Amino acid sequence: MSRPTPTEDRAVGGPERLHPLFLLKGLGGSLRGLGGAYAALAYLIVSGEWRLAMFAAAAFILVGGVGAILYWRRFEYRVGASEIRIDSGILSRRHRSIPFDRIQDVDITQGPLARALGIAQVKFETGGGSSGPQSEEGVLQAITLERAHEIRQLVRSRRTRDPQAIVEQSGEQHPVFAMGPKRLLTAGLFNFSLAVFAGLLGITQTFGDALGFDPLSQKFWRNVLAASAPLQEFALAHRAIVVAAGSVLLVVLGAATGVIRTTLRDYGFRVDRTDTGLRRRRGLLTRTDVTLPLKRAQAAVVSTGPVREAFGWKELSLRSLASDEGGRHAHLLAPLARDNEIDHILAELGWRPIPAEPRWHHVSGAYVWTFALALTPLLLPLAVQVVLVWPAALVLGSVLLVAVALRWLAWFRTAYALDEDRVLVRTGWWRRKLLVLPFERIQSADITENFVSRWVGTASLRLAVAGGSVAGEIIPAIPKAAARQLREQLLSSQA
Amino acid sequence: MAAGEPHLEPVEAGYKHVLRARMAVFGAVLILAAFILDRVLLAPKGHGGIVAGAAVILALAMIIVAPQRIYRRLRYGVGERMLQVVRGWLFHTDTVVPLARVQHLDVVRGPLDKLFGTSSLVVHTAGTHNSVVVVPGLAPARAAELRDIIREHVQTDAD
Repeated sequence: MSRPTPTEDRAVGGPERLHPLFLLKGLGGSLRGLGGAYAALAYLIVSGEWRLAMFAAAAFILVGGVGAILYWRRFEYRVGASEIRIDSGILSRRHRSIPFDRIQDVDITQGPLARALGIAQVKFETGGGSSGPQSEEGVLQAITLERAHEIRQLVRSRRTRDPQAIVEQSGEQHPVFAMGPKRLLTAGLFNFSLAVFAGLLGITQTFGDALGFDPLSQKFWRNVLAASAPLQEFALAHRAIVVAAGSVLLVVLGAATGVIRTTLRDYGFRVDRTDTGLRRRRGLLTRTDVTLPLKRAQAAVVSTGPVREAFGWKELSLRSLASDEGGRHAHLLAPLARDNEIDHILAELGWRPIPAEPRWHHVSGAYVWTFALALTPLLLPLAVQVVLVWPAALVLGSVLLVAVALRWLAWFRTAYALDEDRVLVRTGWWRRKLLVLPFERIQSADITENFVSRWVGTASLRLAVAGGSVAGEIIPAIPKAAARQLREQLLSSQA
Repeated sequence: MAAGEPHLEPVEAGYKHVLRARMAVFGAVLILAAFILDRVLLAPKGHGGIVAGAAVILALAMIIVAPQRIYRRLRYGVGERMLQVVRGWLFHTDTVVPLARVQHLDVVRGPLDKLFGTSSLVVHTAGTHNSVVVVPGLAPARAAELRDIIREHVQTDAD
């Protein structure tokens, strides 16, 4: 993308620098980047070399600070008539030019510090397959929020070449979708997570020795209980109560984790219609502001779970060429919504609502039993366990049974349907997913079979979508003739 | 069917040699690794030669048997609107790319291709899955011809 610039004949704009407050942020970044240096520092501290450690720490901060200052000094960007230019690099210079036509969108992100300082990070989304380190090249680490909005407005107006579009849409019109505190709380409860326990487990595994105790060892608890003999007697006498209290604690902690995480991420969730796309703002501490251009939407994914669905809640995200925060190619548009709200958002995209009861074509039962067949090699260790350590066999046995049972449940739900010019693919039982894919967004289609499925006469259809998963969108286990016919139908609309 | 799926044809016979040469290189590395493993780990225990022997048999199978089979299963076709590539047996894949969805095209010739007079047509699509579809073992003139045919169909995306 960085082409040599035959300038002078068009306005390239005056050079601009990052906001000086970048130095604060940049220093943090440089310090994070030092990596191995911290191990050395920790070693010095542990071995009691305090003076040396302080000297080293000062040196690191100095190096980091100088690095940040040099980066700032050598970083310039220009907003030209038809492109953004970024000149960066301390020793090896990189001159990058990003034409407005190629910019899918301008993402604005503000961390807690940046919000306090009134600066923002701006990222130019070019929609190329650049999710590697190269994508860093279109990033302005810190500029004033005001300037960020100016640049975004400019890019949008240049892109559409429509002077009307320059008028900033006031954000206070009726949103396409928004989540109030109550909805946020509900979403948080559904995001029930025991990950915090996994985290604690990991920490004690790693640092337990250093702390001098290990909360996961029996000895630790025996010591604790010995120190509190009355409690021990109580626990032994009222085992049921202790178990119940423990379970309640687990549930409360899991729910709290879910609520906190969801609040941090989705606080003030709001989707607005702009003239080129859907603008999403969310976040409590780190506030993000991302716009998904309408034309870039490739497919819609409605996901839910058994519990969520029982309460009538679903999540809507869009597959897109432009990447969302964290480089994922799914833009979350509604974390927790009713069917009619989802249809409303889709209508803003210009899509028809999702039919409630389309004519589903179910997949072959081979979906279940080929899976069971693939698990058969595990019967050997199971047999060994039954003979040698039979209680362990119960664990492996039930894991296998549950796996097959879940597959069987998923089979009931796995189906596809044609809805005029788009295909609906429904999969999963625990993680329920409904893919809505317009025919014209299918980039290629594979029919795959292996030595087992050939014998049964089934095949899988894999549809490639821009911005989808690397594996493609899979319709599994359909009779081979049906697979060919379906592929023919899906691709026939292509001019 | 007639409208969609093109007539399928095999690639150049020279591609077998390309495959064989590639397998030979891979086999050589495999044998070398097995030999070192043998010497370092197994020979002291008196089981020398087992791994190396297995590697030699596997490499021979790869060089002698595999190329014909891969070649035999590989078919491609370019129709009015579709490019189709069919390959594999144990894991069989039948890929169709609508020509209108092709992003850009390369004709690639590696050193082995030059040696055996073949080249590959590389078709880039926008899909994350199948972002690159390769038709290997084409005569250079045929690859160029296909490239020109497909290029006619490539639409410039408006957005």
